[in-house]
Parts: sequence; C-alpha cells; structure tokens
Amino acid sequence: MQISINTADPRPIYVQIMDEVRRAIVLRSLRPEDPLPSVRQLSSELRVNPNTVAQAYRELERAGTVYVRRGQGTFVAAVGEDDADRRDLVRGVAERALVEAHRNGIDAEELVEAIREAAASRDLPTLAQQS
Amino acid sequence: MTTVLPTHLSGPPMAVATRGIVKRFGRETALDHVDLQVPEGAVYVLVGPNGAGKSTTFKVLLDLVRPDSGSAEVCGLDPRRDGPRARAQVGYVPERLDWGYGWMRVGRLLEHHAAFYPTWDRQYAAELARVFDLKPERRFGALSKGQGRRVHLTLALAHRPRVLVLDEPTDGLDPVMLDDTLGLLAEHVADTPTTVLISTHQVHDVERLADHVGVMRDGRLVLQAPRGLMHTHLRRYRAEVPDGWRGAPELDGAVVRRGRPGREIQWTVWGPEREVAGAFARSGAVVRDAAPLTLQEAAVTLLSRKEQA
Repeated sequence: MQISINTADPRPIYVQIMDEVRRAIVLRSLRPEDPLPSVRQLSSELRVNPNTVAQAYRELERAGTVYVRRGQGTFVAAVGEDDADRRDLVRGVAERALVEAHRNGIDAEELVEAIREAAASRDLPTLAQQS
Repeated sequence: MTTVLPTHLSGPPMAVATRGIVKRFGRETALDHVDLQVPEGAVYVLVGPNGAGKSTTFKVLLDLVRPDSGSAEVCGLDPRRDGPRARAQVGYVPERLDWGYGWMRVGRLLEHHAAFYPTWDRQYAAELARVFDLKPERRFGALSKGQGRRVHLTLALAHRPRVLVLDEPTDGLDPVMLDDTLGLLAEHVADTPTTVLISTHQVHDVERLADHVGVMRDGRLVLQAPRGLMHTHLRRYRAEVPDGWRGAPELDGAVVRRGRPGREIQWTVWGPEREVAGAFARSGAVVRDAAPLTLQEAAVTLLSRKEQA
C-alpha cells in the first residue's frame, strides 16, 4: 500500500489518510488481516503529526474498516457483505465531482450525462489531463 | 471587537502559557499583551513576519528576556522565579547561532551539554548525530548556518525534554536535510510525550506537523486556534452577485479579506460554512465554492490584512 497526501487538498489530512486506506482495500493492495503501518512509521514517512495518523486510524476503527489487536497494531477487518468501504469510497469520489461541478455552474444531471458520454467515448482522457 | 478571529484556547492543560506579556525596547513595543497558549502534547506553529515578536516571546519563556509586565508559565513553573528548573524542561533551538561556545569542538559541546541534563539519552544523541551528519572534530564557531542548526537540534532533542522551543529550526537546511529533519520531528513526537512550539517563516515546511497555529503581527496574536478549527472555519468563498450588490451585512466583522468587486467575488471569511453560506444567500449571492486555506495561504491572508480598527 502507498499512502500519499496533499496539503492543498480541501480534505483534512486525517480524512485523506482514511480515504487512502479505503482505496488500498478496494484495490486489494490491502487485504483482510493485513497490518497497517504503525502510527510512528506512517507519520515519519508522511512527515505528518502522529496524532493526525492516530485520528485517522481511530475513525477507521469506529467505521469497522480496521481493528486493533492490543500490543500488536492495527489490522484490516474482514470485509462485510455490504462492502461498506467501497461504497464510502465511491460516495467520496462522487461528492468531490459534484463540488467541482457546482463550482463550474454545472448541475448534477449535466454532470452524470457528461460522465456517461466521456466513459463511452473511445479515447479516454489521459490521467495527467485531469489536474 | 472588530474581528471574530479566535485568540484564546480553552480546555486542555497548557504546557506553556503567557498572560498579558508586554515588552518594550526603548520606545518600541515588541510584545503587546501576548497570551500565548500551548496545550500539552500540541505541535504549535507560531507564524509571523520578522520583528513580529516571535523570538522575544520564546526568550521570555526561557527567562532570556524579562517582560515589563505579564507572566509566563512553562510546565507549571514561572521562568522568572524558577529559571534553571524551567529551562531544564525545555529543549531550545535559538534563532541566532552566535550563542557562545564557538571555540568548542562539536563532540565536546555535546559532552558538555549531556552533563547538564540527567535525562540525556546517549543512544538517541548518537542516532541524531548520525542523521544530522555532525562532524565531532569541527569547531562549533566555524560551522555553516545549516550545520550549526543541526547541532542545536541535536542538543535540544537528545535530552527528550517535556517542551521543545524551536525558533526557525528549518532555516538554513538544504531540501534533503529539511525533509529528514521533519521526519525526525514526527518520530520524536511519536516516541516522546512532548509539546512542541515552532516559529517559522517557512510555514509550508511544518504544515503537516502543526495541530495548533498562532499568527503574530506587531507584537500581538491576531489568531490562535487548533488547525482543525481553522480548516473548517477559515474559508475562501467564491460567489456570483447580482448587479448593484451591496455586500452581506450579516458578515460584517467576519470577513477577513474582501477581493476585487465584480460580478464574481472572492471573500475570505471566518465562521461555520453553513452560516456563512446562508448569509451570502440571504444577500442575494450564489456561493460556488468554499475552499479551506493551506496554512501558507492563511498566514499570508491574515498577515497582509489591513487593520480594520
């Protein structure tokens, strides 16, 4: 799993870390019973306040995405049937797209239609174009 | 009150606090009733231009400067009455490097320092010296700015003090060393129960570490708040406004910066987003965007703000 964060992103850093963990779970680079990096390790890697990482882990634990084994660390929980992590991730992506659309004066219907069109067209935009 | 910006923290016990500190140098007022509040366990970043009073505030905490009035507390001790005991709790990186002992070699300086601190951690000191690439044979006074800064950081961290007071700790570090230092600070905070107070011009460097922010200008704190509160409450709104729009009177006092007038406006406002957006809507404006500010943007916005008194 690779976690990357960006201070210019409107999401607070702890939310970005949560989303990155969910992303890794959806992509299956993190699987049930895999350990997450320790708070110390991840905060050192990202140059982030350890309390921020701890906050992200606490929220993920509360959501049932991960669980803590005393003295051993934090682990990915077994996936439930409802696949809540995937739903949360999709919802987050959708909400960000809606905010971006609203900023540009585009309503939800127009956006959905444009997404369908873009997805159906053969030449998909390159990833770099999105920035 | 002309502003709604918060300048006082409530709640958790404070590791460092000052009350009404005033310091004059001749006719110049360096500190004008400063109430600095650093909660236990916080990483508090103090931002401000040169001459705002950041270094003077830090020196009051170490009893290196005596205020004309007001009081200070460090780990429950008054530095003025209990200077040595208060200083023993603090790891200090001074802004200026000409700080005595220039004739000592770096290795000797470390030994010298170790003798003063019962909590000196030899293993950790050796580890820091390795990461910071310290050269024990070099004379301290002959070091470059960045090298000197690294020695000071080692001296400040190695006794694992309860409070770290770091005055421009990243000044003079090259980009790689800066990055290593930030990683080290994150590890230090994870390993050691500590409170960190950092002053800097390079806000971006420490943006990810900060959980509390103070913004200082002309010897006063214009804002003091948890980073999370700034994230939710200080936002840049973009909105379309009708012709002849007269502004949003409900927001008087909450507007930190008004952008250029026009059919689209960009205002930075302090307040809960829903309330601010509601006030805009009632004024006839259509809000398109309510973007949180990076620490760098927040600092620039607050520091270049015209006095509205």
